[in-house]
Amino acid sequence: MPSGALLFQSVLLGLLLGGLYALLASGLTLYFGIMRVVMIAHSAFLILAAYLAWWLHDQAGIDPLLSMIGTVPLFFLAGVGLQRALLTRLRPATLTMMSVLLTFAIALLIEGLLGYAFSGTQRRINLGYGSASLEVLGARVAVVKLIAFGLAVVALTTLYLLMKKTRFGWALRATIQHRDAARLLGIDTDRVAGFGFGIGLATAAVGGTALSLDTTIYPSLHWHWIGPLMAIIVVGGLGSVPGAAIAALVLGMAQSLLQIPMGTTWAQTVFYVALFATLAFRPQGFFGGRLAQRF
Amino acid sequence: MLNASRALKAGAILLLAAGILAFPSLAPNPYILSVGVLVLNYAALSTSWNFVGGFTGYISLGHGALAGLGAYGTGLLVAKGGLPPFLALFAGATLVAALAVPIGFAALRVRGASFVIVSISLVLILLLIFQSWASVTGGSRGLVVPRPFDLSRPEHHRVFYYLFAGLLALALLVWWLIDRSRFGLGLKSIREDEDKAEALGTATYAYKLIVFVVSAFFTALTGGLYALWFGDLDPVFQFSILTGSYLVLMALLGGVRQLFGPVVGAIIVGTALEYFKGAYGDTPLHLVATGLLLALVVLFMPDGVLPAVADLFKRFDRTQSSSIREVTASELRDERLKKAEGAAR
Amino acid sequence: MTSTLATTDLRKAFGGVTALDGATVEFQHGKVNALIGPNGSGKTTFFNCVTGMIKPDSGTVTYDGRDITGKAPHTIARHGMGRTFQLCRTFPRMTALENVLAAVPVGGLLAGLRGAKRRSEIDRAISWLTRLGIEHLAGSEARDMSWGQQKLLELAGVLMSEPETVLLDEPAGGVNPALLDRIGLLVRELNAEGRTFVIVEHNMDLVMSISDHIVVFDRGRPIASGPPSVIRTDEKVLGAYLGV
Repeated sequence: MPSGALLFQSVLLGLLLGGLYALLASGLTLYFGIMRVVMIAHSAFLILAAYLAWWLHDQAGIDPLLSMIGTVPLFFLAGVGLQRALLTRLRPATLTMMSVLLTFAIALLIEGLLGYAFSGTQRRINLGYGSASLEVLGARVAVVKLIAFGLAVVALTTLYLLMKKTRFGWALRATIQHRDAARLLGIDTDRVAGFGFGIGLATAAVGGTALSLDTTIYPSLHWHWIGPLMAIIVVGGLGSVPGAAIAALVLGMAQSLLQIPMGTTWAQTVFYVALFATLAFRPQGFFGGRLAQRF
Repeated sequence: MLNASRALKAGAILLLAAGILAFPSLAPNPYILSVGVLVLNYAALSTSWNFVGGFTGYISLGHGALAGLGAYGTGLLVAKGGLPPFLALFAGATLVAALAVPIGFAALRVRGASFVIVSISLVLILLLIFQSWASVTGGSRGLVVPRPFDLSRPEHHRVFYYLFAGLLALALLVWWLIDRSRFGLGLKSIREDEDKAEALGTATYAYKLIVFVVSAFFTALTGGLYALWFGDLDPVFQFSILTGSYLVLMALLGGVRQLFGPVVGAIIVGTALEYFKGAYGDTPLHLVATGLLLALVVLFMPDGVLPAVADLFKRFDRTQSSSIREVTASELRDERLKKAEGAAR
Repeated sequence: MTSTLATTDLRKAFGGVTALDGATVEFQHGKVNALIGPNGSGKTTFFNCVTGMIKPDSGTVTYDGRDITGKAPHTIARHGMGRTFQLCRTFPRMTALENVLAAVPVGGLLAGLRGAKRRSEIDRAISWLTRLGIEHLAGSEARDMSWGQQKLLELAGVLMSEPETVLLDEPAGGVNPALLDRIGLLVRELNAEGRTFVIVEHNMDLVMSISDHIVVFDRGRPIASGPPSVIRTDEKVLGAYLGV
């Protein structure tokens, strides 16, 4: 039996990890809700943002957190462009399948270009506060992890307020729930969909920065993220943002706790086990998106 | 006009078959011959992929993993189980087909998106397992599969070249049989409109599951044959997300609704792949090229090369005969009957 | 009066919106039944529950005395119920002939491996296409056909599966007056041959001229039923339509 302190530390780390998962999964859910697109390139953009943060720090000594001033608007624009210029070109009848291929192709492109530009070498930012840690009730937690979690919480809260309190959020939710009806209400759904994609990619920029703080990065790292993220959105119920957030926290916690008896590698399987179990026994997910039954 | 285009088609197919069969005697050195084996391996894999992708329209990015499972199944049965190589090949493929039942059960219950998610996850989880479970799979040290024949290197390639060609022919035959069957018509109606197909009485879930298992069987068979040919398995290559994307690219480029689409795509992409590997080695630019090409095909040529060529011929035809669309019912019936009788003989 | 398709206390809600609020309905065997009601009164949801496309939250659907609640659409189709869709749906990249042939139910796995284009079935398919007046399009892909032709093609496909009961979701939607007359006539003819019809329709002229029995929906449940002459003068119906 692991000691209480170890358990507590794992719970804490799981919570911090789950927060990051929740932020990233919310982006993925947003795309799916808006256009029924499974955006495979989401985690590739995540790694791209991490690389940009590392590069800016490496070249100009800019703190990763400051790099967000550039990457977040940049990614927002990229998202709008991606939706308006590429995804709308696909035939509606085969949109789900073809968009997967298209975003998959973009993921390969990003991975290849990162490898070309920065080589496959593993990179890591060395921050002055990188090794600092706090002691919380006997558990040691790295400061950078807390910062990453803080970023995730701030971004998720902003997203939540944006969705619930603003006129744009109202239009976005209307578009997600019933595109045709939204159009009848005078909402320019294409424009809203473009902005929705931009916001989704902006979450990847925030997530990537958070990731770069305490993770060793390399071009193919995005595959280690997309699997868990896809599992999270299925378990949470495709298209449901709160569902994805809850699933992210639960699974992040499970991964962290399972690392004690199983080790880091096998603990990752929890995502896939959850994915298969969900699809086999409750395909609509556990925190039920209405859309999930049909996809 | 219809007969002329059919003769043209038959000629093209004969030419393709003759070219494939004659290749080993024309290949100047064993390296080129081994490239030929690889291309046939890709052709067999993408044709196997096309059982699902072409008929039902469900895009799997995880068929690389099914091939890898077939390779490791065969390899382990030979190396650790002591089974004769070709018995191991069929046993391995059967095991993978059996495993495809629960996978399909989970992946196909709902529509498209979940299927893609499961297919990618399959690659990721199997890579994880086969790398970590070193005591059984050899982990990243690899698994050496003993060769089935005691032959010189060129002879070894030649024998396997024909084995792969035979397997490809078998996969094509089965695809063709399904294509013209009622089962195939049901599958295609799923591709066109799944709700509608189900409302007309097609048991869509069972249909999808059956064809997925058939596809997995052929994919695993090809993977197993690869293991016997290549003799050395590494999880990183067997469970690579890239293999799956190559297969999709090949099938899509050639045309998923065509019997020979994936073969044509495999010849184009496979040859290019090996050429660039030979000329420039393994660089990240492979990924860039694959990504770009895939994006271009998806955006501008989702039906593939073969239909594009066929359209070109049709336009050329139309300048001579006023309309080829309007066929009277009786003509159509006669033609179908003739075709049916021809097939029965 | 014998009943063929009946529901008891059918309920279905989407999120907070109640689409069906305890619908108990009986349709008459061998008759042309119509289901009418204002927009959003739950007609299409009712159709989808009856044909298995969506599962009701509660309540039962019986067909020929058998409970078919929540069964898969293909199972229900095989019990002898065929349906068309609100916005007509065909298989766009299949020829008209293939569209109709795709409606032949496959018995077992082995039967499925037989050729799709057998003589007897082609004859039957062509005779349906002929009857609907679109046999000259047999070799054309559905996506190249006009709206009206696609509607006829969809109907041909449904009829090919030999249903005892045919459910039509807005057969008059988007078709021209000439075609409308033809569809009306066809329904009466096919009914005379023994098929039961259930039709969801907004076009009152069509409904009043071809149906024997009308059920009126409002806010997810039936508020009236009877022959056209009765429905025409029913105050509740007028109220529902005029918002009185």
